[in-house]
Amino acid sequence: MNDGPLIVQSDKTLLLEIDHPRASDARKAIAPFAELERSPEHIHTYRLTPLGLWNARAAGHDAEQVVDALLSFSRYAVPHALLVDIAETMGRYGRLRLEKHPTHGLVLSSTDRPVLEEVLRAKKIAGMLGNRIDDDSVVVHSSERGNLKQALLKLGWPAEDFAGYVDGEAHPIALDQDGWELRKYQQEAAESFWHGGSGVVVLPCGAGKTIVGAAAMAQAQATTLILVTNTVSARQWKDELVKRTSLTADEIGEYSGSVKEVRPVTIATYQVLTTRRKGVYTHLELLDARDWGLIVYDEVHLLPAPIFRMTANLQARRRIGLTATLVREDGREGEVFSLIGPKRYDAPWKDIEAQGWIAPADCVEVRVTLPEGQRLAYAVAEPEERYRLASCTHAKIDVVRRLVDQHEGQPTLVIGQYLDQLDELAELLGAPVIKGETPVKERQRLFDAFRSGEEPLLVVSKVANFSIDLPSAEVAIQVSGSFGSRQEEAQRLGRLLRPKGEGKSAHFYTVVSRDTVDADFAQNRQRFLAEQGYAYRIIDAADLDTTR
Amino acid sequence: MLDALVVANQTTQSELLRIVHADPAATEAATERLVDLALVWESPGGLRPLSGVGEALRGDESAGVSGLRPMSAEPGTPEVVAARLEAISPRARALLEHVLANGGEGTTGNARRTVSAADAATPVEELIAHRLLIPRDGGVLVLPGEVGIALRGGYTTTSPRDEVPELATSERDPALVDRTAGGAAFDVVRRTELLLDHWGLEPPATLRSGGLAVRDLKATASELQVSEPEAGLLIEVASAAGLLTSAADPDGSEVWLPTDAFDTWAAGSTAERWATLALAWLDTTRLPSLIGAKDPGGKTWNALAPDLSSVMAPEARALALAQLADLAPGLVLATGTGVPSLVERVAWLRPRRPSVHRDLVAAAVHEAGLLGLVGAGGLSTAGRAVLAHDHDAALAAITPHLPHPVDHVLLQADLTAVAPGPLETELARTLHLLADVESRGGATVYRFTNGSVRRAFDAGWSALEVHEFVGSVSRTPIPQPLTYLVDDVARTFGTVRVGHAEAFLRADDEAALTELLHHPKASTLGLRRIAPTVLISSVPVDVLLPRLRGLGAAPVVEAPDGTVRVARRDLLRARRPRSSRTRGAAQARAQATVASVVTAIRSGDRATASRPTSPTIATTPSSALAALREAIESRETVVIGYVDNHGASSDRVVDPLRLEGGQLMAHDHRSDDERLFAVHRITTVTPLSAPQP
Repeated sequence: MNDGPLIVQSDKTLLLEIDHPRASDARKAIAPFAELERSPEHIHTYRLTPLGLWNARAAGHDAEQVVDALLSFSRYAVPHALLVDIAETMGRYGRLRLEKHPTHGLVLSSTDRPVLEEVLRAKKIAGMLGNRIDDDSVVVHSSERGNLKQALLKLGWPAEDFAGYVDGEAHPIALDQDGWELRKYQQEAAESFWHGGSGVVVLPCGAGKTIVGAAAMAQAQATTLILVTNTVSARQWKDELVKRTSLTADEIGEYSGSVKEVRPVTIATYQVLTTRRKGVYTHLELLDARDWGLIVYDEVHLLPAPIFRMTANLQARRRIGLTATLVREDGREGEVFSLIGPKRYDAPWKDIEAQGWIAPADCVEVRVTLPEGQRLAYAVAEPEERYRLASCTHAKIDVVRRLVDQHEGQPTLVIGQYLDQLDELAELLGAPVIKGETPVKERQRLFDAFRSGEEPLLVVSKVANFSIDLPSAEVAIQVSGSFGSRQEEAQRLGRLLRPKGEGKSAHFYTVVSRDTVDADFAQNRQRFLAEQGYAYRIIDAADLDTTR
Repeated sequence: MLDALVVANQTTQSELLRIVHADPAATEAATERLVDLALVWESPGGLRPLSGVGEALRGDESAGVSGLRPMSAEPGTPEVVAARLEAISPRARALLEHVLANGGEGTTGNARRTVSAADAATPVEELIAHRLLIPRDGGVLVLPGEVGIALRGGYTTTSPRDEVPELATSERDPALVDRTAGGAAFDVVRRTELLLDHWGLEPPATLRSGGLAVRDLKATASELQVSEPEAGLLIEVASAAGLLTSAADPDGSEVWLPTDAFDTWAAGSTAERWATLALAWLDTTRLPSLIGAKDPGGKTWNALAPDLSSVMAPEARALALAQLADLAPGLVLATGTGVPSLVERVAWLRPRRPSVHRDLVAAAVHEAGLLGLVGAGGLSTAGRAVLAHDHDAALAAITPHLPHPVDHVLLQADLTAVAPGPLETELARTLHLLADVESRGGATVYRFTNGSVRRAFDAGWSALEVHEFVGSVSRTPIPQPLTYLVDDVARTFGTVRVGHAEAFLRADDEAALTELLHHPKASTLGLRRIAPTVLISSVPVDVLLPRLRGLGAAPVVEAPDGTVRVARRDLLRARRPRSSRTRGAAQARAQATVASVVTAIRSGDRATASRPTSPTIATTPSSALAALREAIESRETVVIGYVDNHGASSDRVVDPLRLEGGQLMAHDHRSDDERLFAVHRITTVTPLSAPQP
């Protein structure tokens, strides 16, 4: 028996005992190919997936290394079938190659003829390929580069892309490290992206993904298109870039519903790109407006389906995706892999928290009991109405008020899903409310006021879930969410994690109604938090005052 | 060797040495052994095989014999035969070799038996002339043994027979072999326990033919997270070890159940349990490798099917493992080529076994790998002990390679508990009750959920006990959410209660109910108060009602919808009998009867009309047959005289349709239907076409 920190299960999960002396070596060894699935306090769970193994192959690791890592750190015998499976899965990557041919342009070639024959016979692929050059290679329509990669991944024969990238229109960009400097992990992230050519960087919220984007732009030295989720976040990108790089405000354009500027660095929202008029994407020409050298996808886990299709046509440009979590509720991780690129960098939240770059958080679930009358109403409600009923109970309002009182003087966000409830809360707490219909200008003003401390309390709807930098927020109270979405939970918690001074920790409260679907959904989200390594507590509303 | 003797029929030692393609010393040794076994005896004329041996040794090379025919009565010397072979044409030579390759026998249709070499027209005739083929009865040509030997370069076989086929091997650290095998051994024990535990709760049905349904096998495989063949192996081994048998469940249907021996087994140490399984596997005649394959009749073999066994199985296993045991330490079967080379070797050792034996050998190595006797292609130390049926040595050898049982789990805030190794049996069972298993392997991941905690409460645990148990097995502090979960489930546990009652009594007057409840005569009614205004009774309503009235109460009965039912006694009335048929139907029936009577009468009339005036002459059956055939051909209607079962004679007007098996199929005009007439009962046949006036 070997005294290793790793236990390899036959269902392809790896359990890593983190208190073990060799745990950090083991983590380093398995991180390239295994996806971290859960990281609670004692034992982290990694999973071996084909995607993860292919990621590793793309990053230059081979099956021998993977097997060796497993064998040397494993405490018990590694199931033989698993090792065979790893070798087989990894062997599938790179049998097909996308290459640039001097005369034929883009070609798909293979060293393994049966594989090529197999994929050539797949119906979905037939339309993307042109003439057969010889036995081992076939012409690919250059516009289908992305689609082909996507389709090949689905067939289980991911192609290695050697076709390279266009440099794009050069534009000098430099980081302006005055009074701050690139953190080590940011530097590593930007570099591993650049070596890989394109791919996704996974960093927790608050860890400075914008900076990683800026660093990547400084590496590219070319015109850049940045795609973000909404206008507010577009403005934040602009401010940040002006502050952190040699770019001036004139060089950065905003392309959104209200402004349409195309400058060497252009920040566009997903929404404007996916706007359709009479079935035509009217703003698609933006993608060809310039010879972009780099495309940055912010919050890549939210990338809407039409953007995927557009991205398929941009395979010759360098692409970087930034996200806090690769978890997509729609399960389209595979498309991110094939279209934007494999995961190039990943750091667990807890590690970065330990380095002091993001704030520690105290997560508490507060359970309230529905009043008798509402319990009856809930019991007889239609299933689709139940969640709303449970979420919007008045019992929550009282709890929120008590929580706000407890944290008086600390910048607090109250986050919710249902507008009626938010309006009611805002009125009761005497705080401004930000929701979808709030004009951008007003939003900006309120956020600025919050940052400066003028407004210590904001009530926000889900518009604030993403990419709005509110570094000063110390307390978040969540009253309702969209049906237990894990990704939303990560985003909301992320609002709080921008580092605070004096090592203060953030507080994250979730108010849920006991014995209802609300509690069931909450369980889903809490499990996610626990799996990210955040210990959480559950308390009853009645005990609220005693637990301080 | 023996085969060479048969070919030579009677020969000397030296002659034998010459024709057996092997080292002379080995041949001599083999001869002595055969003499000792009394398969060969030393006659005055030389060595002779026992009569009967020749018959037993039929077949071709795949069956391990040369396929040569006995030598002819006067074989020439090898030189003469060789000379004759030289003399024939290439075509004839090719033909001869073809005959040799096809069992030394051929047939010919038209070759002349006695021809001289000079006027042979065909290659066959040429060969016959040179006495290279000897004609036998029925055009069969036999290739005599001496010719075959000459063709094969002077030996009975083309390839030497004393070279042991090499095993394809590669080097592997013996410690790794033992470790891999230990891992597999542990898995087998764990899965067997899981399997039988599961079947103890939900036993699968026994098929009428005695096996296990394919569907159950599939379900079991997914439950155990193994492939179907592996699940089949586990099931068969458990059955072979006496841990599983077919018995009647409480409903009386046959199911597969763990035996009482399972409980003893489960209480033993992992090493002991493994040794039991491994030994059972080694000696069983069952053929787990065939599960899922088709039998000769095209039916799929079910696991545990009674016929799924072969006496060859234990021998094949022992032989295969013995070959592995003979390998030098540090050598194992090479991946890919190792197993085929082993099969080759075993085939050489036991040439007379049918080809299925080879499959058994390959399967044996595979199964031994799954069971932990073989690891990474080499026999483990424990495997050697098992092969020698040395139970204690097996225990000693396997123990260091099994994971040590652990007595604690690590609890985490995401409501999982991870056991970083195999748990002690008792602990594992308890945890299994409290939490759901999420992942199995070297370690086990359990998840606490509402449902799993409630399950524990259902089994009689209290919240306090759960807290205490969790606290005692956890090496880490108990996360607050888990404590909260247990308490939360405890809070809602049992809020809705379900019970049994035959009847209920309700009244707004609580005092009246109290009075009833305490009435001395009401004790037999089984009354119990479940709410201030509700009593339940264990007596059905129709008994309860008169008794309550007897006690002076004035109850009314509630209908299922809650309305009051008046309990007036129903006056009993029977339904008026109704004529079963309507008038129209009766009329139609009467008309039909009339119509059929008329038809019968008319047909009788026609029969009478056609009757010859002269007295009927009894025709013979043969003339009746002739007449009937004629009638069938000309499609005539005839009148037949027919004697029925009771000896009554009648005349029938029929259209004969066909004659077969002594019976006449004919359309009978009277019944207006086709019916059969026995020909021997037909007395007369008269055509109707010539009616008498």
